[in-house]
Amino acid sequence: MIERMLNSDLAKWLDDRSKIVQMTRAHLTDYPTPKNLNYMWSFGSLALTVLILQILSGIFLSMFYKPSAVATIGGYSVAFDSVERIMRDINFGWLIRYMHAVGASAFFFVIYLHLGRGMYYGSYKKPRELLWVIGVVILLIMQGSAFFGYLLPWGQMSYWGAIVITNLFGSIPVVGDFILQLLRGGFGVGDPTINRFFSLHFLLPLVLVAIVVIHIHALHTVHSNNPEGIDISKKDTIPFHPYFTVKDALGVGIFLTIYAYFVFFNPTGWGLFIEPDNFSPANGFQTPSHIAPVWYLTPWYSILRAFPDKLIGVMAMGLSLGLLFLIPWLDRGTVRSARYRPMYRKLVVLFFIAVLVLGYCGHSAPTEALKLIGRIATAVYFAFFILLPFVSKHEKTLPVPKEI
Amino acid sequence: MADNTVDSKRRNFLWGVASGLGAVGAAGVAVPFVSSMMPAADTLAASTTEFDLSSLVPGQLVVIAWQGKPVFVVHRTPGILKRLTGYEHKLKDPESHADPRVEATWMKTSEQRLTRSIKPEYLVLNAACTHLGCIPLFKPSPGRAEWGDSVPADWPGGWHCPCHGSLYDLAGRVIDGSPAPFNLYTVPYKYLADTKILIG
Repeated sequence: MIERMLNSDLAKWLDDRSKIVQMTRAHLTDYPTPKNLNYMWSFGSLALTVLILQILSGIFLSMFYKPSAVATIGGYSVAFDSVERIMRDINFGWLIRYMHAVGASAFFFVIYLHLGRGMYYGSYKKPRELLWVIGVVILLIMQGSAFFGYLLPWGQMSYWGAIVITNLFGSIPVVGDFILQLLRGGFGVGDPTINRFFSLHFLLPLVLVAIVVIHIHALHTVHSNNPEGIDISKKDTIPFHPYFTVKDALGVGIFLTIYAYFVFFNPTGWGLFIEPDNFSPANGFQTPSHIAPVWYLTPWYSILRAFPDKLIGVMAMGLSLGLLFLIPWLDRGTVRSARYRPMYRKLVVLFFIAVLVLGYCGHSAPTEALKLIGRIATAVYFAFFILLPFVSKHEKTLPVPKEI
Repeated sequence: MADNTVDSKRRNFLWGVASGLGAVGAAGVAVPFVSSMMPAADTLAASTTEFDLSSLVPGQLVVIAWQGKPVFVVHRTPGILKRLTGYEHKLKDPESHADPRVEATWMKTSEQRLTRSIKPEYLVLNAACTHLGCIPLFKPSPGRAEWGDSVPADWPGGWHCPCHGSLYDLAGRVIDGSPAPFNLYTVPYKYLADTKILIG
């Protein structure tokens, strides 16, 4: 059926003037994909699905949302009021709002699994280093976008989260105060802040679309890795359509089912997707007893908190993200997939566990025990990057199959 | 795979079912989004506007807002009311039947249908020209003495829309030759007291 469409007269007319059919064949229908990909390779298409859901729900939310911290007669901000209006007065507003909130968490869940796949199977190794770097850029833009977005309802957590995170940037020596004023647009977090964060929150996902196109272009230039991590020849590839369009459709179907469960039956995600404090309007004179960023930013927050010195904490947090860029070059081994690298496998699994522990610590109130655990997990996190060059150079790898 | 022949019928059936279900799913997703763009509950919540008619002097027109729309309120003099007859052949819809929007439930007597008001001396109508929505200019005195060539020689008094030239009489009825298709629309209103009305 797709073949009939691609061969139709209209398609030929369009193709002669835009190469659209050629591009569709090269990048979608006939794109050669390794025949042994497992479901860990479905997370890229899932991420794209969630991005589209977020942009769709976000555009509609922005028809009703008002980015103003000015107080209404009730005493709370126009922004908070506009969100309540969305929840109560706009037809299906509650659905669109919950889709967007759940979608944000879903986006990070999917992307962390996507990253994990990359780290485990060596999808960052030559010739895919640029692909990996673009991916880390996507992660950073997602984090920025999520931070700006979380601010917009102007609830307690929005406001105080903004105070804390913008203060972080203020601690950068020399330029810190300048950046702080630039971000906030005033002396504290207020109306100028929320207005510009709305603008940036609208902008960044659209920038993301462009970067995702570049990401896919970089992928298609070098072609996909596979679970065995070996280079394969054309004969071991199958066309993306129908094999992986259908397989990814199944993945999307399962994902949407779980997503729908959360949107309709558990939209606050047990307080993880929308934190309870955010249902209270922002109060500049009362900090909530327990400030934490949303779960998907907690690992990095934990690293920040592990260091008693403010500046070192900020630098460590920056470093923890910056080191991700260097993985393709820190890893000096020649074998890609962790299936054949027993030492690396242990190291990377330890890294994943450290991230999970850091996430848990970052979300909880910092008791003495959790502080200690957080520091240990931070040490393990950084140890991964420090040990990687040595482990990769000296590890005994298992013999790698000749073909898949 | 040993058997390489394709069962086309089965394949087409599966494609058809999957696409059909996918289309249903897409429609299901589209409905809430399109619906969200329809007026919200608070917008729809009936809003009313009170107006004190005693503030008007005879012959005066005011334009007030009701649900964001402009509404004419005119205190018509007995002289004006006498001049509402005699030129029915020049009106497109003298009896206000052409469209549901030009009549109202309170038009019970033939006098009310003529004057297009509950009480003859106070006219309350939607101020938007039924052509493309401009607010027409109030030109109540008959003839061309005050208005020059902007009105026809046998002008009975009424409204003249500056945008495309539609003409209405002092009961808001559209005059032949106007691009506007209908009389000025009515608005729902009722009397709360002798000179106080509630619109909406």
